[in-house]
Amino acid sequence: MRFDHELQELRAREARALAMGGPERLARRQRQGLMNARSRIDAFIDPGTFVETGLLAVSSMVPEDRDRTPADGKVAGFAEVDGRTVGVISNDFTVKGASSSFTNMKKIAHVKRVASERGFPLVFFGESSGARMPDNMGARGMGANLGNDPQQYVRLRETPWASAILGQCYGSSAWYTCLADFTVMRKGAVMAVASPGLASYAIGQRIEAEELGGWKLLSEVSGLVDRVVDTDQQALAEIKRFLSYMPSHCHESPPRAPVPAGSDEAAEAILDILPESRKRGYDVRKIIACLADRDTFFELKPRFGRAVVVGLARLDGRTVGFLASNPMGKAGALDVAGCEKATSFVVLCDSFNIPLILLVDTPGFVIGVEGERNKAPGKIMNFMQALQMCTVPKLSVIMRKSYGQAYLNMGGGRNSDDVAAWPTAEVSFMDADYATEIVNWGRTVSDEVKQRTREEMERDSSAYGLAEIFAVQAVIAPQQTRRYLAKQLAIHEMRLSGGVGRHRLAGWPTTF
Amino acid sequence: MATTEITSDVIGTVWKIEKAVGDSVAEGEIIMILESMKMEIPVEAPAAGTIAALKVATEESVQEDQVLCLIES
Repeated sequence: MRFDHELQELRAREARALAMGGPERLARRQRQGLMNARSRIDAFIDPGTFVETGLLAVSSMVPEDRDRTPADGKVAGFAEVDGRTVGVISNDFTVKGASSSFTNMKKIAHVKRVASERGFPLVFFGESSGARMPDNMGARGMGANLGNDPQQYVRLRETPWASAILGQCYGSSAWYTCLADFTVMRKGAVMAVASPGLASYAIGQRIEAEELGGWKLLSEVSGLVDRVVDTDQQALAEIKRFLSYMPSHCHESPPRAPVPAGSDEAAEAILDILPESRKRGYDVRKIIACLADRDTFFELKPRFGRAVVVGLARLDGRTVGFLASNPMGKAGALDVAGCEKATSFVVLCDSFNIPLILLVDTPGFVIGVEGERNKAPGKIMNFMQALQMCTVPKLSVIMRKSYGQAYLNMGGGRNSDDVAAWPTAEVSFMDADYATEIVNWGRTVSDEVKQRTREEMERDSSAYGLAEIFAVQAVIAPQQTRRYLAKQLAIHEMRLSGGVGRHRLAGWPTTF
Repeated sequence: MATTEITSDVIGTVWKIEKAVGDSVAEGEIIMILESMKMEIPVEAPAAGTIAALKVATEESVQEDQVLCLIES
C-alpha cells in the first residue's frame, strides 16, 4: 500500500491519543460509575457527528510529558446536537487531572473562537484540577503559559454557553462554568477556587469538599449553579434541554416549537390556584404551568433567591422567559439573592432575544440590616438598570400586590411594553397598614380614623384605578392570561430587526 | 411503605395544623399553614399518604428546611 508507513504512524498516534489516561484509570472510573471525557461527548451528541480538533496535541513544556498527555487532557471539537452545531470542550481527568497547559489552553481558545465567530453554542464538561504543575511555576512558567490571551475571559454572549460540573472543578473548569449562561451540577461534584486540600493547607484547618463547593452551597447559598442532578447522563440531558430553548447565536430568534395538545385547557385552572384571601400564599410555578405551553417550563436556580421564580418556557411555541414573584418564598418580597437571580435572568433573555414575562405579586423589597450589609440598594439598581436597558419585548401581569420600587423592578409603568392586571391587583407605594402608620406618625389618632385612612388607601390601589389612567393597558381575567400573552407576544415581535434585540447587556457579568 | 419528610421552605411560625396523625391526605391537600412575613404559607402533601408524625405544634417557630411532618405512602 502506498504511504503505508506514514499512515501506520498516524493510526498509532491516533490510537495513543484515544486511549486517554490508560486502561487502568479508565476502568477505575467505570467502577465508580463515572463517565469519561469521551463517553460524555458520545452520550451528548448526535451519533457519528464529532469532529475532533487537537486530537494529536500534547504537552510540550516538560519533554517527558510528550508521551503521557494524550490530547493534552482536554478533548475538544465540534458536533451536532439535535441537528444543530455545537462546540464541545470535555476535560479528561485521567490525563494529569485535565490541568491547564500551554497546549490545551490553545485548544480551548480555538473552539471558543470558532463557536463565537461562526455562531453556535459552546458546551463545557467540567472536571479539572487547575493549572498544570510544575509547568506554571516561576517567572518563566507564568510568563510563558498564562496571561497571553487578552480575550481568554471575555464574554460578550455572541452564542450561548453551557457548563456541567461533573467532578472536581478547580481552575479552568470553575472559570468557564462561571462564564457560562447555564450551569448544571452533578451531586457529589465540587466547584471552588482551589481544592479542599489546598484550602485546608492554606488556612490550617480541615475543610470538606461539600462544604467548600458542594451542590448545596452552589445551588442554595451562592446561586452559581442553575440545576442540580444525580447523574452525568441527567446533566447532559439538562444541557440539551437548555439549548433547545436557545438560538444558535445572538443574531437570530430562538427556534419555535409546536404547541403541545392540552396547553390552552390548563389555563382555566388558574382560578383554582389563586387563593381568594390576599394573605394566602401560593406556588407561582403552578400559575406558570397554566400559562406556558404544557410541560415546557424549565426553572433556573430553583433553590436560590426563592422570592422569585425564573425559567425558560414556551408560549404559543415561542421561547419566553418567566420572571415571577413567588409568594411562597419570603411572601414574594425581593431580597438580595432574588435581585441577583432576576438580574442574571434578564441579562440571559436580553442577550438571546427571548421575550420576558413578568408575573407580579410582591409586597416590595425585604428591608433590614442583613440586606444593607449585602448591598441591597445596589442590587436593586442592578436589576432595575438591567430591565430598563433590556430591549426584548417585556410583558408584565400584576396578579396581586405590586408595591413601591418593586412595582418598577417588576415591570410596572413603562418598564414593560405591555402591563395587564388581574382584578385582584393592588398597587401602591406601600401596604396600606404600614402607610396608615406612617401618615399618622407622631400623632394621636383614633382607631376609627386609622381604619378610614386605610380603607381609602386600599380603594385607590385597585386594578381599575390603574386602568383609568392607562397605567395598565388592560384588566384581564386570570384564565384569559395565556391567550392575552400569546397575542401580545405576536404584537411585540421585533419585526424591524428580524427578531433581534440590541444586546446592551451582552457584556454584563455572568454571575451576580 | 415509604416515609417522606415534609420540610419548611420558609422561616416563620406554625399558624394552623389542619391534619392529625393517622389522617390520610390526597396529593396537594393542605396539611398545615405557616405564617411568614404576614403571608399564610400552605404546606401541601407532595403525594397521597397518611400523616405518620407531626414534628411541630401551633405557634411554634420553624426554620428553613426544618422537618414539619412525616407522610407514609
